Amino acid sequence: MKRALTAALLVAVAALLLAAVAELPPHGSPDSPPYTHVSAYYLEHGPDEAGAENMVTNVILNYRGFDTQGEVTVIVTAMLAVLAVLLWTGQAEGDRPGPAPTATGSSLVVRFIVRVMAPFIAVFGIYVILHGHVTPGGGFQGGTMIGALVIALTLVLEDTRSAALLPRRPARLLQVAAPLTFFGVGVIGLVLWGEYLYYPRDPSSLWITELLLLVIEAGIGLGGAIVIATIFRVMGAQR
Amino acid sequence: MIDALWQNLDYAASVVLFCIGLYTVITRENLIKKFMGLNIMETAVFAFIVALGVVEGGDAPIAGSGATPPFINPLPQALILTGIVVAVSTTALALSLIIRIWRQCGTIEADELREVE
Amino acid sequence: MSDWSPLLAVFLVLPLTAAVLTPAVCRSSSTRGWAWTLVTMLVTSVIGGVLIARVATRGPFSYVVGGWTAPYGIELRFDEFSAVVAIICLLGVLAIVFSRRYAERALQAERIPYYYALLLLNLTGMLGFTVTGDLFNLFVFLEILSLSGYALVAISGEKIAEMAAFKYLVMGAISSLMVLFGTGMLYALTGSLNMADITSRLAGATQTPLIVALGAMTLGFMVKAALFPLHVWLPDAHAIAPSPVSAILSGLVVKVGIIGMLRLYQIAYGSGAVDLAGLNLVLTWLGALAIVMGAFFAVFQDDIKMMLAYSTISNIGYIVMGLGLASTYSVIGASVHVFNHALIKATLFLGAGALIHQTGKRTLTDLAGIGKAMPFTVAAISIGAISIVGIPPTAGFLCKWYIALGAMQAGHPFFGFALVFGALLIFIYYIRMVNAFYFREPRDRAAVDVQEAPATMLIPVLVLAILCLVMGVLGRLPLTFIEPAVERLLMPVGGG
Repeated sequence: MKRALTAALLVAVAALLLAAVAELPPHGSPDSPPYTHVSAYYLEHGPDEAGAENMVTNVILNYRGFDTQGEVTVIVTAMLAVLAVLLWTGQAEGDRPGPAPTATGSSLVVRFIVRVMAPFIAVFGIYVILHGHVTPGGGFQGGTMIGALVIALTLVLEDTRSAALLPRRPARLLQVAAPLTFFGVGVIGLVLWGEYLYYPRDPSSLWITELLLLVIEAGIGLGGAIVIATIFRVMGAQR
Repeated sequence: MIDALWQNLDYAASVVLFCIGLYTVITRENLIKKFMGLNIMETAVFAFIVALGVVEGGDAPIAGSGATPPFINPLPQALILTGIVVAVSTTALALSLIIRIWRQCGTIEADELREVE
Repeated sequence: MSDWSPLLAVFLVLPLTAAVLTPAVCRSSSTRGWAWTLVTMLVTSVIGGVLIARVATRGPFSYVVGGWTAPYGIELRFDEFSAVVAIICLLGVLAIVFSRRYAERALQAERIPYYYALLLLNLTGMLGFTVTGDLFNLFVFLEILSLSGYALVAISGEKIAEMAAFKYLVMGAISSLMVLFGTGMLYALTGSLNMADITSRLAGATQTPLIVALGAMTLGFMVKAALFPLHVWLPDAHAIAPSPVSAILSGLVVKVGIIGMLRLYQIAYGSGAVDLAGLNLVLTWLGALAIVMGAFFAVFQDDIKMMLAYSTISNIGYIVMGLGLASTYSVIGASVHVFNHALIKATLFLGAGALIHQTGKRTLTDLAGIGKAMPFTVAAISIGAISIVGIPPTAGFLCKWYIALGAMQAGHPFFGFALVFGALLIFIYYIRMVNAFYFREPRDRAAVDVQEAPATMLIPVLVLAILCLVMGVLGRLPLTFIEPAVERLLMPVGGG
């Protein structure tokens, strides 16, 4: 009964939404407003004034950098929230690495493959982070790879050795590396050029912009990786 | 109407996906399945916004890589990168809440939980 | 723009960065975490004061982050409606002061650093939400404040806290998605995310997608505001959260939905591209329904925080009805009620928190006769109760009066009656509470034989109670302050 009612209601909702999307500007048309207004400016001027050849990176870190600062704060918020929810007396792991899932469950094949792949994943992750301004990629994408690597290693290594992957004291600061980097770069802009999160735009000083973008990418990559690994660690400790 | 919808098939697909997700959220009792429904809805909205950026015959928006105009619209991609991170964050928090519920009540079926309350 | 407009960005990033650093600063000392968040919030309040002074003297101003121009970079815009940051800062500071002793007893020691961090993030999210002029940035701040809100509900450790938080999370996430979906539609129609830019480019947009986009976003904000049929997540979440968090959630976080609706109105009215009469009618009816139903449910609650939570639903009804009536008086009344209700509800929730902290009891039956043991706290709660009913010399009166005037002005006196009827119901349940505290014989004399609340808890409650009275006397001040903004908002359709 509940299902039939829900289905009927949703069919009505879907019909309304379909009627709406049918009247949107045609899909893929180069004359539609999304393509001709703000983005046209990004595509035309991006490579000359924003510092990166990858225009998605330009938008993320330069034109709409403030959004990305909010975004890294969201993921740190999620980490703090997960820690707050899962911390409980008697099993208070905190950012202290608790008894994470051990190697006992994983077979020889898995352990072997993870160990062999680990250095390649790490190198590729770092490449994706640092090359995000010229090729598809960037801080988050690379950071996620490194985070996944830490998770994979946690699964196959013994407790004591995997605990060393995420040492407690530096982890506290590294978790918030991404928002801190943003704040730092933003304040540099404020002090030197009088605008928060400002990057120089004239061609002669574009190298400063590239450098700052690289610093932010690295900060996001590092912070993202540690946050993901921490979330996994705390959840994994719950059994 | 049908022609216009055919033209905007990508948008229509995400609308359908959105409703499937909402159906899952409403009808499933298992909290993890409920949340999977929410993830489907998130994906639907992301697909919709990314599809807004597509342009006929467009290349990846990277200057100097041999790609030639027209370029795909970079703005929706940038937005959805943020959206994905938000979705990951929500998922992490929801799963940890489910872990706590499981530990306290021994069940994650919504109907059984109502009885526990 | 003068040189110090980047202050608007600093206003947001300072608490944002300080908040994520809290656990690292705090380590295991909860006092350090408390001091750190308190100092951050005080500094933020000072900056907020400067910004409000500027908007009061020179009108709305904006700052585009990164030195770009408006539709290309992210615009932060501070107008008269943004002055709501004053109450966010005020309640933030007081809630943090209050938490000092409350958190020590009510929360697990390991959770305290995260509690302060999340509280600060929640407040900053709201500041960003009110100040931003960009739709996607709005969504990002909405997520910061929502995520921290879910966790703050779960943090209390009550038996069903996680379940309440999960319910809140699912509803909240769906509503966020609706907001994002609407944002995407508006982007498809205009090619822009900047609110002012969208407003100017909407004229002549296709009607169906535009209405669906605005409808989806309004629906999303209604869930955030817990408007009556969509309120199911609110009572449990607000009653179970730690009391300072309840004060913030009930006083401020639900208002985020209202502010979101105001922003949508700015876009919709400003562009003149869509006829809002239908939406307004729906909002007015839902508001009237919420007033009566919220008050009705509240009458049957014995748990004091549950009662306050239902009272919030009722008061949201007043605000939404004021918006829906869309006459100058009613919108002014609704905007000011956002402010006043936050003040009053924080008084009540913090007062209730002090009672619960001292006695360990939370039902009216158990708390009967507490007035003798904790005279100051109960006096403050009584002032809050009088204010929320809307008895003349207090903060609640003028805005309800304005909403009623607005109902007459819009030619719907019926809704004025709904308002008065709601006020009567509210009067019943608050008089019941005050009566229980002062005049009923305690059921268990030992239970109410307690000390007055400690200073860090008593002072915030008293400050808020005094402000309830002061705002009643100075009631005209916020009304005249918000008037130009409301007139600008309603001008294109010639309302009022």
